[in-house]
Amino acid sequence: MSHAASESTAEPVTYKTVNDAVLRMLEPPKFGWYLMLATCLLCVAIGAVCWTRQILLGIGLAGKNNPFGWAVYITNFVFWVGIAHSGTLISAVLYLFRANFRQPIYRLAEAMTVFAVLTAGLFPIIHLGRPWFFYFLMPYPNQRALWPNFRSPLLWDVFAVSTYLTVSAVFFFVGLIPDIAAARDRAKTWFRKLLYSMASLGWSGNHSQWKHYGAAYLLFAAFATPLVVSVHSVVSWDFAVSIVPGWHSTIFPPYFVAGAIFSGVAMVITLIIPLRAAFKLHPLITPVHFDAMSKLILVTSGVVTYAYVTEFYIAWFSNNPFERYQFWFRPFGEMKVAFWVMFTCNCIFPLTLWIKKLRTNIVWLFILSIIINIGMWFERFNIIVQSLGRDYLPSAWANYSITMHELGITLGAFGWFGMWMTLFIKFFPAVAIAEIKEVIPPPTRHHHSGH
Amino acid sequence: MSKEKAVVGVFSYLDDLISAVRATQKAEREYRVYSPVRNHELEDLTSPGKSPVRFVTMTGALLGITGGFSLAILCSLDWPMRVSAKDVVSIPGFVVIGYECTILFGAIFTLLALFHFCRLPDVLRKVGYDPRFSDDKFGLVVACGSPEVEGVASMMRGAGAEEVEVRDAL
Repeated sequence: MSHAASESTAEPVTYKTVNDAVLRMLEPPKFGWYLMLATCLLCVAIGAVCWTRQILLGIGLAGKNNPFGWAVYITNFVFWVGIAHSGTLISAVLYLFRANFRQPIYRLAEAMTVFAVLTAGLFPIIHLGRPWFFYFLMPYPNQRALWPNFRSPLLWDVFAVSTYLTVSAVFFFVGLIPDIAAARDRAKTWFRKLLYSMASLGWSGNHSQWKHYGAAYLLFAAFATPLVVSVHSVVSWDFAVSIVPGWHSTIFPPYFVAGAIFSGVAMVITLIIPLRAAFKLHPLITPVHFDAMSKLILVTSGVVTYAYVTEFYIAWFSNNPFERYQFWFRPFGEMKVAFWVMFTCNCIFPLTLWIKKLRTNIVWLFILSIIINIGMWFERFNIIVQSLGRDYLPSAWANYSITMHELGITLGAFGWFGMWMTLFIKFFPAVAIAEIKEVIPPPTRHHHSGH
Repeated sequence: MSKEKAVVGVFSYLDDLISAVRATQKAEREYRVYSPVRNHELEDLTSPGKSPVRFVTMTGALLGITGGFSLAILCSLDWPMRVSAKDVVSIPGFVVIGYECTILFGAIFTLLALFHFCRLPDVLRKVGYDPRFSDDKFGLVVACGSPEVEGVASMMRGAGAEEVEVRDAL
């Protein structure tokens, strides 16, 4: 890893130091880890209590009522699918483009993808009045001989999200196999030995395995790359294919994809900064990596800002009174706070990253990454709730109030996501050992001429 | 490995390993190389040619696109209901289903191909494996008959092996 090797002042990065640094993370946890896990479990418990009450007492506890058929739960769904996105971008797209800065961060980004999709997948079910009938969405033979409507974007979503979850989980697992084998070979307790032996599937790293592994990994990356574009495009069609003012727009797919990458990279930064500090990964994750991620944020923030401005321009240019009113209502109506939070967090704060010093200032990046994700949550809230609140019929207009149950379940989702991440970093290598080794010059007795 | 003995060499340096592999290939012996990392130079030497995984992937992807479109078309024909004056079989609406199934089946078939060609799960790791091969050492395991053991071992030492060990081949 050229960046890391050149910037580390302590010792050069070698195969052994990579194993040592990464596998040290799997040592028995300390108080901080237990505290983190307990906090996450508490949040999950709060979410579980709220959902249980909602199931027992009715969906009315969520505050969803006409005209708000979709509200906070669908906001959460879109938010978490968006978070998932940058994991695939970092792992697959940057792999195909051979961007070496991805190596130390991609494993965490992939884990984030899988756990964020797991979180996102809960929300359409939580959103249902009768969640036990969620399987009606699947095309399965049934005694009524009914099939779902394949022309509906909601069914496209089922296919898109379940494919995304499956492919990203497979990609994640395949990437982990050689690293779990490395963990297996150093495991001290019988439980870990058994766990890693099973999970590594007996990987030995022989020449035949590496050959097929390399070919398969490239193909996985090639399959995952179109998913980066397709998943959030399909999610955006949930809105764009309808006729609601503020939703019926052709810019939605690129706008959603850029927003997803924007929020996802911010979430990677939120996760990686504490991890780097806790496990002393400074030689592996250097300012060069933060600089690269900051530039990605800057670009996607620019695209998102452009999309916001374009939406206003289209509303004005369309001369459609409903569309025009919707875009007047967002910044100046009763729910304007949500709009201005979104605009400030997503368009103004990221501009600070034009300054190189701030692109590598860890404290500022951590704060900014949280600010961006607050902004991106509000972006989805604006799209969904503000649009539904000002539909075609003024008699149906309303303003939305978030209920405690919605807040509790939203908090629970963060706890659920955090719980999986916390467990993952203690049980599996959170930094890709084999891939970092690939970019370190191999140990040679004589001068290595490369290949 | 079909011979009765396996000579295991542990190497710290890639160039030493490569010269040992070349010598083994020249002697036309059966061998296996263990490496903690994928290395193109080593790969070109030990396994020239392309992996057949891609053919399985292509089969999965073709099956996926056919299956996805077939599912949507046949289900629509099974309960023909015209919605918003659109055709019962409206291909543009089914493109997403076909597209997602292409990726899904392509990926699943790639995974199965990976397992097949890498012989995974491999409960009994092959003879000669050493835990250091997932850390920072390279390994070369050469199969040979008992009388050839000394010759193979001295070749490995000459190439720069740190340790040479003789084991019974499976």
